[in-house]
Amino acid sequence: MAGKRLAKGGRIDHDRPLRFTFNGRAYSGLAGDTLASALLANGLRLTARSFKYHRPRGIVGAGVEEPSALVELTGADAAGNLQATTVPLTDGLEARSVNCWPSPAFDLGAVAQLAGRFIPAGFYYKTFKWPNWQLYAPAIRRAAGLAAAPRTPPAEGRYEARYGHCDLLIAGAGPAGLMAAQVAARAGLRVMIVDEGTEPGGALLSRRLQIAGAPALQWVEEAVAELAALPDVIHLQQATVWACREHNYLMATERAPERPGLMERSWRIRAGHVITATGAMERAIPFGNNDRPGVMLASAVQSYVNRYAVLPGRRAVIFANNNSAYAVAADLLAAGGQVVAIIDSRADVPEAARALVPQLTVRAGHVVISAHGARALRGVRIAPLAGGPEETLACDLLAVSGGWNPAVHLWSQSRSTLRYDEALAAFLPDRPAQAFSAAGAAAGAFALEDALRSGAEVAARIANVAVPEIPDAQDLPYAIAPHWRVEAARGKAFLDLQNDVTVDDVHLALREGYSDVELVKRYTTAGMGIDQGKTGNVNVIGTVALARGLEPGAVGTTTFRAPWTPVSFGAIAGMRDGQLALPWRHTPVTQWNLDRGAVMYEAGARWRRPGYFPRPGETMQEAVDRECRAVRFGVGVYDGSPLGKFELKGRCVGRFLDFLYSNIMSSLTPGNGRYGLMLSDDGLIMDDGVCFRLDAGRWMISTSTGHAEAIHSHMEEQLQMRCPGWNVLITPVTSQWTNATICGPQARAVMEALGTDIDLSPEAFPFMSLRDGHVAGLPARVVRVSFTGELSFEVNVAPRHMRELWDRVMEAGADFGILPVGSEASHVLRVEKGFLSLGHEVDGTVDAHDLGMGWVMSRKKDDYLGKRAVAIRRAGSHGGAGRRELVGVLPEPDCPIPEGAPLTPGGRREATEGFVTACVWSVVQERWVGLALLENGHARQGETAYVRLKGGAVIPVRVSAPCHYDPDGQRLRS
Amino acid sequence: MSHDVTITPLETQALFDLRGPATVLRDWAGDSLPAFPQRPNTGSSNGRATLMFLGPDHWILRADLAREDAFEAALRPVAAPPEISIVRISDTLAFFRIIGPEAGEILSIACPLDLHPRCFGHDAASFTAAFGIKALVIRCEGGFELAVDRSYLPMMTECLTAAAG
Repeated sequence: MAGKRLAKGGRIDHDRPLRFTFNGRAYSGLAGDTLASALLANGLRLTARSFKYHRPRGIVGAGVEEPSALVELTGADAAGNLQATTVPLTDGLEARSVNCWPSPAFDLGAVAQLAGRFIPAGFYYKTFKWPNWQLYAPAIRRAAGLAAAPRTPPAEGRYEARYGHCDLLIAGAGPAGLMAAQVAARAGLRVMIVDEGTEPGGALLSRRLQIAGAPALQWVEEAVAELAALPDVIHLQQATVWACREHNYLMATERAPERPGLMERSWRIRAGHVITATGAMERAIPFGNNDRPGVMLASAVQSYVNRYAVLPGRRAVIFANNNSAYAVAADLLAAGGQVVAIIDSRADVPEAARALVPQLTVRAGHVVISAHGARALRGVRIAPLAGGPEETLACDLLAVSGGWNPAVHLWSQSRSTLRYDEALAAFLPDRPAQAFSAAGAAAGAFALEDALRSGAEVAARIANVAVPEIPDAQDLPYAIAPHWRVEAARGKAFLDLQNDVTVDDVHLALREGYSDVELVKRYTTAGMGIDQGKTGNVNVIGTVALARGLEPGAVGTTTFRAPWTPVSFGAIAGMRDGQLALPWRHTPVTQWNLDRGAVMYEAGARWRRPGYFPRPGETMQEAVDRECRAVRFGVGVYDGSPLGKFELKGRCVGRFLDFLYSNIMSSLTPGNGRYGLMLSDDGLIMDDGVCFRLDAGRWMISTSTGHAEAIHSHMEEQLQMRCPGWNVLITPVTSQWTNATICGPQARAVMEALGTDIDLSPEAFPFMSLRDGHVAGLPARVVRVSFTGELSFEVNVAPRHMRELWDRVMEAGADFGILPVGSEASHVLRVEKGFLSLGHEVDGTVDAHDLGMGWVMSRKKDDYLGKRAVAIRRAGSHGGAGRRELVGVLPEPDCPIPEGAPLTPGGRREATEGFVTACVWSVVQERWVGLALLENGHARQGETAYVRLKGGAVIPVRVSAPCHYDPDGQRLRS
Repeated sequence: MSHDVTITPLETQALFDLRGPATVLRDWAGDSLPAFPQRPNTGSSNGRATLMFLGPDHWILRADLAREDAFEAALRPVAAPPEISIVRISDTLAFFRIIGPEAGEILSIACPLDLHPRCFGHDAASFTAAFGIKALVIRCEGGFELAVDRSYLPMMTECLTAAAG
C-alpha cells in the first residue's frame, strides 16, 4: 500500500466514514473525499488503462485537470467517463475503471502495448481507410474502452435549465474571484460568482497560507458570508462556466443544486462583464514512462496532503523547474512524508525556494529521464541536464511541476487573444474581444497577494470605484526556467496522457509536414476529448517550438473549445424531455378527437392533428377509405383551424398583395376571394393560400399551416425592406379563428340543418366567397373554399365557440352520415384532385409553370416577387426544357408506390428523371393513383414512365394529367 | 410543487390588437382607452383596461371579457381610418398568473428576459419567449402573468407544472 490516510487535518470529516466499491471491491472513505482521494487513501495506484496503448494509469491530478483516472459510475449514479478527482464520494458509490477488461490489473487490451511502436499517431487513419473508415470505427472505438452513456435515465430526479442575468459574472471563487466579487457587490453591481469546486477558496483549499495574519480559509469564509448577505449576489458552487458565446452569453452547469429532486441545473447567462478568475493548472515535464501510476502533479500531491489528509506515497521525489514545488515539499514534510530529493532542472535555484525546505537535498541542474515500475512507480532514473552519470532513486511517488498554465479556456472562447509571457513561460490573456477581464492566477498573478490585488483592481475598474486596501498575504514569489521535455528521456514520454500522445508523435507530425500547431493537434489528437489540453497543451506547443526553433509565442495556441469540462446532456436539455421535448399545439377539438380514438400526429408548425379515426378492428387503409367515401359521396367534416390566417388593413394592402402574390388580388371586391401563390425571390413557390377582401380597406389571407410563421416574417420583412412607408398593418389571427370545414355533396344540407342566417344558395354564396353571419346560433364567418374538390363550407368561429360548433355539426350531420376526417383522408382527396401540397409537389425547386399553373402568373402586373426570376429562367437557352413538371401517374399493374420513389429512364439504374410525390388508393377511381414530378412531364402525358425501387424492382406507370377526378371542378363549385 | 409559487390559468381576456400611430389611435378611440404608455414594453391602466406598448406602433388593449363587446362598440374596428388597425384577438392568447415568492424562479426557467426589478419594473410588459414559444410577459402584483398562443395552452400548462417541480 502506497497511500496513507493522515490521522487528522484536511477538509474532510474523519468521523463520517463512507462505503463505496471500485471495480467490484469494497472500500471506505470519508465525507469530504473525492473518489480519487479515497482511492489513494486506500492505497490504490492503478485506477485505469490508457485510451490507445492500454498502459497502466493512476491518479495524476486532484481536480478538473486530471487526464488519466477516468471512471464509470454504475448503479443509481450511472455516468460514463468521469474524472475520479471530480466525483464527490457518497455512501454506496459504485465505480469502475474505463479502458480495460476485465480489470485494470489484468487487461486483455494491454496487448496493444506490444505493438505500441507500430501504432504511432495517424496509424488508424492511414491503415483503416479502405473501403472506408466508418467500417472499422465502431470496432476500434469499442476496443478503446471508454465508457458508454448510461442505457437508462436516472430513476429519480430531474434536470433543469434556466436563464440568468447579471452585471458581472465572475468565474472562479478563489482569492481573486472572491476579492473581485466583494468589490463589485459592495458597489451595488448584480454579481454572479460561479465556482466549480465543492467549496469556495480555489487553490487556497490546498495550501497552507495566511491572509491578514489568519488562515487564508478564514478570509474565504468571511468573504463568502459577506457576499451571501448582500443583495443581488448569486453564488453558485459546484458549478462550471463551460462555454462563452457572443455578447457575453455564457453557459454554466450546477452539478449539485440545493433544490430537492434536482440533479443538475444549467444556466444560460447574459453578463454585462465577465471576470475570468479561473486560476491556473500545473503542467508536467515529459520524460520516459512519465505515465506510471505514482507520477503525479506536485500541486495534486499538495492538495491530497492538505485538503484530503492523504499521503499519496511513502517515499517521494520531486521534479520541478519552478519554485512552487518547494512549497509542496514543505507540506509533505510537515505531514510526515518522506522526500528523497528535489530534482530541479534549473542550475540556479532561488534561495527563497531552498529556504522553505533547508533540510532537503536539491539536485539542481538535474532531470528525471525515466520512471521505473510496471503497474506502480518503483523509482526514477535521474541525470545531470548537461549530461553525466545517471543515478536511480527509489520512490513510490514522483511529484512533478513543469510550471503553471493560466486557465485561459473561457477567455479564449470569448475570442479574446492570448500572448506568451516569457518570464512566466505561459500564455496569458491579452486583448479582450468582449467585455472580459482576467484576474488572479488566470491573469498570471500567481502569488497570493498579487492575485488578491488583481481581483480588486479589475472589479474596481468595472464598478468604477476605488481599489480597496489589499490584505497582507505572504507567498513564495514565482520563478521558472521552462523545460518542455527531457531530451535524454527513455521510453515513451507522454505530452497528453488522456489521448496517449507522445513527444515522438509530435515529431512525426512535424516530419510529415503538419507544422502548424492546429495541424499537429489534428494529426496527433493532442488536446482533444475531455481533457481539452489542460495539462498537455502548452507542453505540445513547447515541443513544437523546440523542434522548429521557434519561441512558444510564435507557435501559438490551438483553439480552445467548449465545453471546458464534460457536461451531461440532461443538464443541457433541462426539462425538454419526453412530452416536453418539442412544442405541440392543440385546437379546441383535440380532446374530442382523442376521445374517439383518433391517431394523432404532427401536421406542420407543431400542430397535433388527427391522422385518421379507426374503428375497432379497422386498418388504417380501411379507415381512410371510409372517411374519403364520406366526403366524396356524403359528407365529412375536418378541423381546419391550424391554417395560418392574417388580417391586413390599410390603403396600400391591395398593392402589397399584388406584390406578394403572383396573380392580382387588388381587383377583388368585398366578400370575394382568390387562390394565389407566393413566390420567393428566385421565382420558386414559397406558399399557397387564399385571399379574401373583407371590405374596402381590410383583407384576410390564409397560408399553409406549416408556413404561417415564416410568411408572417416574410410579409413584415417586405414591408420594412422593400415597401417602406406603405400603409399596411398586419395582425396574425390564426388563433382567433378556428373552423369546422363541412365538405361533400351533402354539405349544404348539413349547413341548413345547423341553422344559419346566411343564404347558402350557389347564386347568393358562390365558390370563393365569404359571408359573415351566424351558424348554429354562433357568430361565424363562412368561407366557400375547397381543399377536397367537393362542395365545402369552412365555418370559422372564435375558439371559445369551436367545441360547441363541432358538437352541433356532428349532431346536425348525423342524419347524413357525417364522419370526422383526418389528415390522411385529406391527403387522398387532394391527390385525387391534383392539388399541390407543400413538402410534396412543392419541394423548393418548382415554379408555377412546372405545376401547370402558369395561369396564376399574372401578365398584367408590371412586377411582383419572383416574376423576373421566372422570366429569366424561362428565357434561358433551355427555356423550360428539362424541368421536372407535375403529372399524374397510374401504376400498371395497379399497386402502391412509395412516396419519393425515383423515376429513371426505362427503369434503368441511371440518373433519375423525377420522383413520385404521392400515391394513394382512390375511392372514386378504385385504383392507386399518384402524382409525380417528371422531366418534361407535361409533354409526356400518355407515355409510360418507370419507377425504380430500392433493390432494382421496376414499376411502369402511365403518365396522365395531374387531376384524377372532376377536372372541370363542377363539384366544388356546386 | 417544490417551488413556492401558485400558477393559475386565467379566463379568456378581452384583447384588441391596435396598430398605427398613437396620435391617430388616441383621436379615434377618445376616452375609451387608458393613457398611451410613453415607454416601450410598459403598460398603463385606467381601472377598466390596460394598454400595453409592445412594439413600434403596436399596442394591445386588455380588459375583462365582460367588457369585450363594449370595447368593440367604442373602438369601431370596421370603421376605423386606414392609418390604424383595430382587431379583436381575445381568443388568441391564453393567460397564466404566476405568483408567489419564487415566481421569478419559474419565469427564469421559462424565459430568457431579464426580469430583475431594475430591468422589468412594476408596469413592464413585453413579448419574449417562454419554453421556446413566443410569449407575452407582464409583471403583476406578487409575480407575473404569462400569455401564449391559445393553441399552446395544454403544453404550457405542462411546462409550468414541470418547472414548478
